[in-house]
This record gives sequence, C-alpha cells and structure tokens, in this order.
Amino acid sequence: MGMIGTFDSFTTARLGIYAAQHGLRVTGNNISNINTAGYTRQRLDQISLKTGGNDMYRSFYDNHIGNGALVTGINQVRDPYLDIRFRNTNADVGYTDTMVAGLKEIASILDEVGRGENKGDGILYAQLKGLADSLSKLGADPSKDNDILTRNSAQALCTLFNTYASKLETLRQNTEDGFKKDLDSVNEILTNIRNLNESIRNSEIHGDNALEMRDERNRQIDALSNYMQIKVEYTMEDIGAGKQVEKLTISLGNANPDPGVHTDETVLIDGIYGSQISMPAQKPQPNPNFGVNGDTNLYLMPDGVTGTNTLSQAQKIDNDNYTLVVSKLVDSKNRPHIDPEMNKDHPVALDDNDLYGSLQATRELLTEKGEFATADNMALDENATIKRGIPYYQKSLDLLAQKFAEQYNKLNQGTLVDQNGDPVDSITGTIPELKALDIAFSQAIGTEGGFGDGYYVNAEGVFVGTSAHAPNCTLDAAGIKATDTVDEALAKIRKVVPGFATNADGTDAANKLDQLKDFMKNHGVNDDNAGKETVTLTKPIKLGGPLFSNRNDRDDPTGITAANISIAHKWSTGDVRVVPTCVQLFGEDGKPLPHTTQPENINHMISMVDKSLVYDPKELDPDAVGSKLFQGSFNDMFSNMMTVEGNDERVNNVKLNTHYTALIEIDTSRDGVSGVDLNDEAMNMMQFQKAYSAACRLMTAIDEAIDRLINNTGIAGR
Amino acid sequence: MIRATTGGVLRGYRRNLMSSFIGLNKARETMLTQRTFNSYAEDPAAAAKAFKLRKARMGVETHYDICDDTFHKYQVAYNSLQGIDEVLDTKNGECMNTLSGTTLKMLNDPTGDAREQLTKVLDQMSESLIQNMNQKYAGNFVFAGADGHNVPFKIENNKLYYRGVPVDAEKPVLFDADGAQVKLNANGEVDPAGDNILLAGAGTISKADYDAAVANQATDPTAKVPDVMQAAGGGIATFGPAGSEYYIIQDDSVKTMTQPEIDKATTDAEKLKYLAGEKYFVDIGLGFQENEDGQLIESSGYNASLSGLSFLGYGLDEDGDPKNVYSIVQKLKEIGARVHEGENWTGADYDEFKALVGKLENASSNFKTEFTNMAAGTTKLQNNLKLLEEEFDSLQEQYSNLEDVDAADAITSLIWAQYCYNAALKVGNSVLSESLMDYLS
Repeated sequence: MGMIGTFDSFTTARLGIYAAQHGLRVTGNNISNINTAGYTRQRLDQISLKTGGNDMYRSFYDNHIGNGALVTGINQVRDPYLDIRFRNTNADVGYTDTMVAGLKEIASILDEVGRGENKGDGILYAQLKGLADSLSKLGADPSKDNDILTRNSAQALCTLFNTYASKLETLRQNTEDGFKKDLDSVNEILTNIRNLNESIRNSEIHGDNALEMRDERNRQIDALSNYMQIKVEYTMEDIGAGKQVEKLTISLGNANPDPGVHTDETVLIDGIYGSQISMPAQKPQPNPNFGVNGDTNLYLMPDGVTGTNTLSQAQKIDNDNYTLVVSKLVDSKNRPHIDPEMNKDHPVALDDNDLYGSLQATRELLTEKGEFATADNMALDENATIKRGIPYYQKSLDLLAQKFAEQYNKLNQGTLVDQNGDPVDSITGTIPELKALDIAFSQAIGTEGGFGDGYYVNAEGVFVGTSAHAPNCTLDAAGIKATDTVDEALAKIRKVVPGFATNADGTDAANKLDQLKDFMKNHGVNDDNAGKETVTLTKPIKLGGPLFSNRNDRDDPTGITAANISIAHKWSTGDVRVVPTCVQLFGEDGKPLPHTTQPENINHMISMVDKSLVYDPKELDPDAVGSKLFQGSFNDMFSNMMTVEGNDERVNNVKLNTHYTALIEIDTSRDGVSGVDLNDEAMNMMQFQKAYSAACRLMTAIDEAIDRLINNTGIAGR
Repeated sequence: MIRATTGGVLRGYRRNLMSSFIGLNKARETMLTQRTFNSYAEDPAAAAKAFKLRKARMGVETHYDICDDTFHKYQVAYNSLQGIDEVLDTKNGECMNTLSGTTLKMLNDPTGDAREQLTKVLDQMSESLIQNMNQKYAGNFVFAGADGHNVPFKIENNKLYYRGVPVDAEKPVLFDADGAQVKLNANGEVDPAGDNILLAGAGTISKADYDAAVANQATDPTAKVPDVMQAAGGGIATFGPAGSEYYIIQDDSVKTMTQPEIDKATTDAEKLKYLAGEKYFVDIGLGFQENEDGQLIESSGYNASLSGLSFLGYGLDEDGDPKNVYSIVQKLKEIGARVHEGENWTGADYDEFKALVGKLENASSNFKTEFTNMAAGTTKLQNNLKLLEEEFDSLQEQYSNLEDVDAADAITSLIWAQYCYNAALKVGNSVLSESLMDYLS
C-alpha cells in the first residue's frame, strides 16, 4: 500500500464543494434565463480527478483513489440537426407567410366579396354591369338624358379603374419599400453574425467558449433563415501554435432547382468575413444561351455576344427584376478575405431563383407577371408564366381596361351604311348638319398624311369654312390648319409622305394642286367642295368618335391602361355621343329620314357586355409569352382575376399552415433539447444542494478523523 | 419528445390558444356578417358563382325596368288604338257616331238632308284618328316607329304624311310598250325626247280595229273612231310588232309623270314599305345576342317599334284608291262635298262612295288585325314581367343559398368556439401555476 497524503481528502471535499457550487450557479443561470429569447440551457461538465501517474515499481498493494470532482467547463445542449430542420422550415414559413400577406394586400384591393350594394354586388364588378345596364336603358330610349347617364356611368367606371390601379401601384411601391427595408435587416443580421464570429473567436482563443454570444448568434441565424434558405457549417480553424478555434460558415441554401447554377451556394459569412446584399439600379445582362451547348457564361459582355462570368465586365441593364448582388467577403475593418479564392467570384449577381424565403416571396410579389412574362423572364425562370405577383394583377387590370375601351371605341366609330347595310357612297351637308348625324370630324389618326375623316376645303382645294368651322376641320396629326395655303399644306404632308408632289430634281411638281386634291379625295374630301359652306364626304364616312381616351383632355385611344383610362374629351363636352345607329335611312336625296330612337348601334354595345372575348397578353405587351389569359365577358375577366388571387391565397395559406405547424413542432423539439425546464432545474438544484451538503459533511468527517489522529492518537507516550 | 420543457409547453399552449382564438374570431365574423365566406380565398368557386348570379340579378332589374317601360308604352298605345277602334266602327257596341256608322248614314241618305254635317263629322273623326296616332309616352311618340323624338303624322293640304313621306305614295306602273317606256311631249304627242312618261292604264286599240272603225265611219258617219296618240313627227304613233300593231287611245285614262316624279314616288313607296315594317329591338331579358356576322338575333330582343303606318295603312290599291284610313275618309269627304246638301247622289258618285266605304271597311279590318297583334305583344310583355319577377326571386334565392349562413349552424359554431376558447383559458391557468418549484420546502 502506498503513501496517503494527510490532507488529500480535504482537497477532495473542497473540489466536491466547488463542483456543487458551480452546479448551483449553472442551475441559477438557467432559471434566470428561462425567458431569455434564444437562450440555450447550460450544463456543467465535470470529471473525476485522479492525480499522479503510474509508478515504475508500483506495489501490488498500492491502490489509487480519485481526488474528487473537477469542473472542466460549461456546455450548451443543442441538437445541430434540429437547427438545420428549423432553419429550412423557417425559410418555408418566411416564403409562404410573406406571399400570403402580399396576396391578402392584393385581395384587399381586388376582392369584392361582401362589398358594394345588396351586401355583395361588388364595386368595380357592379359598375361594369352598371354601364351595361345604362347602355340597355339608352338602347330603350336613345335620349340625351340617357346619354348623359351612360356617360356618368362610364366616368364612374373609369374612376374605379383609376382607383384600383392607383391602389395596386401604391401597394407595389410599399412592397418595394418593404423589400429595401428587409434587405437592410438582412445586412444588419449578416454584420451582426460576422461581428459575433469575431468576438467568439477572440473569446475562444482566450479559453472562453462564449456561450451567451453563441446564443445571440444562433438567434441571428434563425432570423436570417426566415429571409432566405441558408446552409450553416461549423469547421475548425487552425490559428497556429497547435490551437484550433471553431469557424462558422453561412452560404445560400442551394435553393435554385437548376443544377447548373451555383450562385445559389454563394458564401455570405466565412468566419470573421462577411458580405452584404444589395440591389443595384442596374444589373448584368443575363446570357440567354446559358446552359445551351455547354455555355457556362452567366452574363453577356457589352458587345451583346460574348459571354462572361465576370460581373464587372458584363453589360449593364436596368434592374427591373430586383436582382440582388452579394458583395465581397470583408472583415470588420473592411479588409478582404485573407484567402483570395473566397472572393474570386464576388461580387455575385444572384440568379432569379437562388433565394428562397421571405425575401424571395417579396421579390416574386414585385416581379412576377404570370402569363405576361416575356422570353427574357422565361430565360431567368422557366416557371415565370405560372408565378403571379402584383405586376400580374396590374397588367390584367390594364388589359381589361384596354380591351373594354378598345371594343367600345371601335363600336362608336362605325362606318355610315344605308338601310340595306351597304356603305353610303357620299353625304352632303353643312358641318352642323353632319355633326347632328354623328359624322366624325377632326379625328387625329396616325395614318398616311395624318388626315382625319372629314374636313372643309378652301378655294384652292385645301380648306374652306368660316373661322367658326375651322377648328373642327383641323387635320391635327399633320399639323395642318384651316388657314394653310396649298404650299403650306404640301409642306406638312411631305413631312409624313416624303417626296409628295415633288419632281426628281426636288422642285414642286407642276400638278401639285391636282395631286393635293387627289390626295384629299382619297381621304374623303371632294374637291367640288371648294369654297362651299356645305361639304360632300365620300366613303368611308365615319361616325362618332372614341368614347375612352388615355387622358380626359384628349381623344387619344392609344395606350389606354387602368391607370389612365378616362372618357374622351369630346364625349365629356358632348361633341361626341354614343352613336345610336350607323344606318342612314334613304339619304340618296340628301335628306335622310330621321330615326331618332333607333338603337341599332347601341344594341351592338349591349351585346358586347356578355360577349366572350379573348384576353391576349400580347395585346398589352407584344413580348409576352402567353397567348390566352382568359376568354369571357368583361365581368368574367374581372371575376377571373379575383379567382386567380383567391386560389393563390388559398393554396399558400394551406402551405403556410403546414409549414408553421412543422416549424412549431421542430421548435418545440428543439426546446426539448435546449430549453430550460423548471422541473429539471428544481431537480438539479436539489441535487447540487445535497451534493454541496455532502461535501461539507465529508470535510467535517475528515476534520474529525484528522483531529483524532493529531490530538487523540498516541496518548500512551505522553 | 424526449423532454417537455416549460418553454416548449408554453409555446405549444400559446399556439393552441391562438388557434382557438382565431377559430372564435372566425365564428364571430361568420355570425356578424352572416356570410359563409368573406373572400375569394375562402371559397373561390362559390364566390365566382355568387358574382355571376348577382350579375344576372342586376341584369334582371334592368330588363324589368325596360320591359315595364315598354309595357306601359304599349298600354298607352292600346288606349289610343282602342279610341281609334271606337272611331272606326264600334262604340259601346253600336256603330253610331263612328266612321262606319256615319258613312252608312250617308249611303242610306239619298236625299242628302244632313250630308254637309255628316261630311264635317267625317273630317273631325279622321283628324281625331291622327291625333290618337300622335300620342306620346315618356316624351317619345308611341307610333313613330324608330323616330320617337319626332311627331310621326302630319297633315298638309289634307294630305297625310308619315315621317315626311306621303302615305299614299305608290310605285308608279309604267305603260309597257313591248318592254319600252312611252314618252310624251308637252303637246301630248309620243316623243322620245318628251319629259312625260306614260303610266299604265291607258287604253289601246289594235291597228286592225282602228282601221275597221275608220272604215265603218266612212259608211256610218255616226260611228265613233277613238282618238289615238299622234307621233311628234306626224302620223299616228304605232306600237307592236309588224302584223300586230296597235295605237294608244287618247282619253281620260292617259296619265303621265315626269322621271323625277316617278323616282320620288318610287322612293316614297319604298320608304313607306320600310317604315311600315321598321323594327328596333330592346333588351328585355330574352338573351340579346348577336350572330357571327354581328347582327342581332331577332328572337333574343323585343321589337318595340310601333309604326302608325301598319295600323292605318299606306299606299294605293289596284284601283288607285288609298289604303290609308285617313286618306279614304278624305276621299269620302271629297265625294260628299261634290253633291250639295239636299240633292240626290249621282249614280257614279254613289258607286264610288259605296266602293270606298267598302275599302274603309277593309282598312278597318286591317287595323283590327294589327291591333290584335299589338295586344298579343302587350300580353307577351306582361308575361315577361312575371317571368322576370320569378327569375329575380330565384336568383336571389340561389346566391343567398351560396352566401348566407345557416343561422342555427352559425350560432352553434360560435357557441362551440366560445366553449373551446374558455376551456383553453382554463388549461392555461393550470399550465402556468404548477411546477416542482412549488413543492420545494
């Protein structure tokens, strides 16, 4: 048996007291932080201490006894696999939650269920029908009063289109602002994680495992995972002198379904180096041939042909797709990553589908156009035609407004026919007489020469009429005035028809007046009208004018959208009205029979209400890939918009509930591992308290034993 | 689950409590709005269908208004036509003080004691016909066809015009000289350069008969040789192929018109034909659709046009007499005026008067036929109003079935949701209160 140190046992008891006291402190810390967000329960690591080594000539009877418990550290209890599952599911929740919220915002504008009169007739929906009903009443009695009622109804409809378009645009702008704020938040999180990495690294170098900072870092990573799917890796980094510290790397979570794309694995954080995500005003031109015949170049150079993977060399185009760019990896002092390889591809312009999470959902809400997607959009995302964000609903509403205006404008600009349906060859009358028959005047049409439908000619064969008539006879597209001379009129025609009535040497043709007259004849003016107050118009004789315009102070039916649709200026002033009929009854003698309550043309308009029309996205955007958005009436088209939104919202809501339930379950499981439980801690508290008492009791026992040895042993020799 | 921690339990509780509260709020919203769904997302198919039904209901409301308006217009028309009917031949079951009765009186009054007064009565009655035909409803003339803003019938110089067209216009039938017109000059001679064109009705005589008559006169000076038309260059104007030559007899049956007059009469006749059948369609809920050529399918609309011409008649008959009631009466009045009061009818006047009375009866019969047709149209409108009322109720019921909650179901759901929420709150109380810490001493 070997030697036993007299006071060794005191050390054992003391270590026991220390260990129990540490245990109580850890328990106390756990209890204190039970409500601290992101806190991971801590656990005391202790080992059984054995001092000394084996003797070379150890006695067979020499037994080693341990020297008590030694506290080696405090650890956190975490399950990395649960963290991965939580963060992946958090990205699912982030995506669907943001998508549902965005769709609900769209629904708050377009969804008219329960709104309007009679507890749910709708608003825009009811007004579309309301205009139809006004037309029906106008058809039953084409009086001026009913024309005004129809006009008011059309004005109300235009205002509703404008309001809805304005609300959608405001929503888009607000969503864009939100997207920028989200980007700021993401960058703040990335900065925080990088700084925490640096602090944790420093602590580890000095022997502290920095548990609280790790908790905060985990909290930040969890928050980041809501914005985007990420991949988190922990590796050991050699810092020299045989010491290693942990290094955290965060990269994008490989969300892009295209296996050829690797920008979806871009590193965001690498230890003490971090990047930032930005949305530049311009982005690199994507290479449309990427992936074709092995072409691996993501972008095109300014020549538009050569491919490149270097962002700085790429041609820049407007960033209407909200493309994000990941910056170089730098440390807190803005020094680039020590390993140049890490930054060789940075900054990285992310592909359309590289992200997945709330950030991507917001991007899709801002960019996705569904059937209005172009070939360029399809090159970025092959599923672009089935993804619908705010632009889809804006364009659908625009298409509806455009189609509506186009159809009614067309119907209100018919050609005059006789009672047998044949085009009327000519009509004669004064301007007021012809206007009373809804004959159209002074329409600005961008055709050859820009001449309108009817006008007054003067003694030279150009224009006639009193000044009172002149403004009605202006051929405004060519800029010709009633007071123009032949030469002035020719000069203006030549701007749109180069070389008109000109000889080969550039001089005026000898028969320029005849040519001018012929030209005007071809545009419906008979030169016999020269100097007369009455005019004879030859076919085609057009009636009415556009009812809808792109501005209230114009009669311009081009480029009408939901945002700008308005009743045409001349309709608003009463110069143009809804043309009741395009039929002229027995007008051969110049005095046609009036038929003031014949609604033949209005009936076409009434029939148009329920007519099944094809809504082709190409009509709004020639570059659109889709060819048939919907087929149905105006009301059906608007209802379809609401149905599409409702279905999208419904599907995403189901997904959100599923993902959220999964997230809660995973979080609860994670909490089962890492969370503080009061029962658990109460047990620990009792356990450490008893251990503390026992260690103290041990010390008393040893004290008594040694006291016997020192003070009461060997008394025979006294 | 390996461990159920205090935080985990609380988180689960919070989620379930929130879920219970959301359920309660949803049940309350359903109860308050009394709707089964409050957004497209809740039930896209039902929402789309409900909007379609509501649109149909809105359409029915408009169709009802238009149909009701048209029905009232027809009622006004009915009353007017009833008045005309009474003026024509039946008043209180008798024909006294009617056109029919008055003309019969004149026929049966050979001494003509009251002819002058009766003629005046005819005049007044015919004017009252026109006044009735110029009735208005809601600012529009009822019998104006598709020109409701302008008065349809006007009388100028005892001639009746419908929308500016003389109602007695008829396409002239020209004398057919083997497929060619016969033109006469101012002297009444056949002259290709003449302005007057011979109308049908002129008598002819074959050259053989004419020659025979001339030969007969040579032997019998009392025998008559008809006057025949002369050619402008001299001699008798001869027509027909060799061997079948004939001449045109120059007497009262010879009538001519200039080309512009013929053209105008032809156009006027075409106008009358068009105006009598003029249509305009209103949407009273019969579908109102166009065919592929953009023409309205007539059966899908309602022809609301009432043309005064079709009731009173227009044009001339084969005898050249007017078919229009007013014009017939005017002609009767003229004949009546020819014979002084107290004088007997001449045979020709009496026959002419009698024939015209017969034609008045025909016109009256035509009027009654049109009146009956219009009355049938009124019935159709009345039936349509009833159908629209039923459709309105049916549509309301249909979307109500889709949208409106079952009150018992909604109340039960709300009470159940309240019960669940209260239970969840009680569970929360126990979750928060107990732990091992509470038992440490």
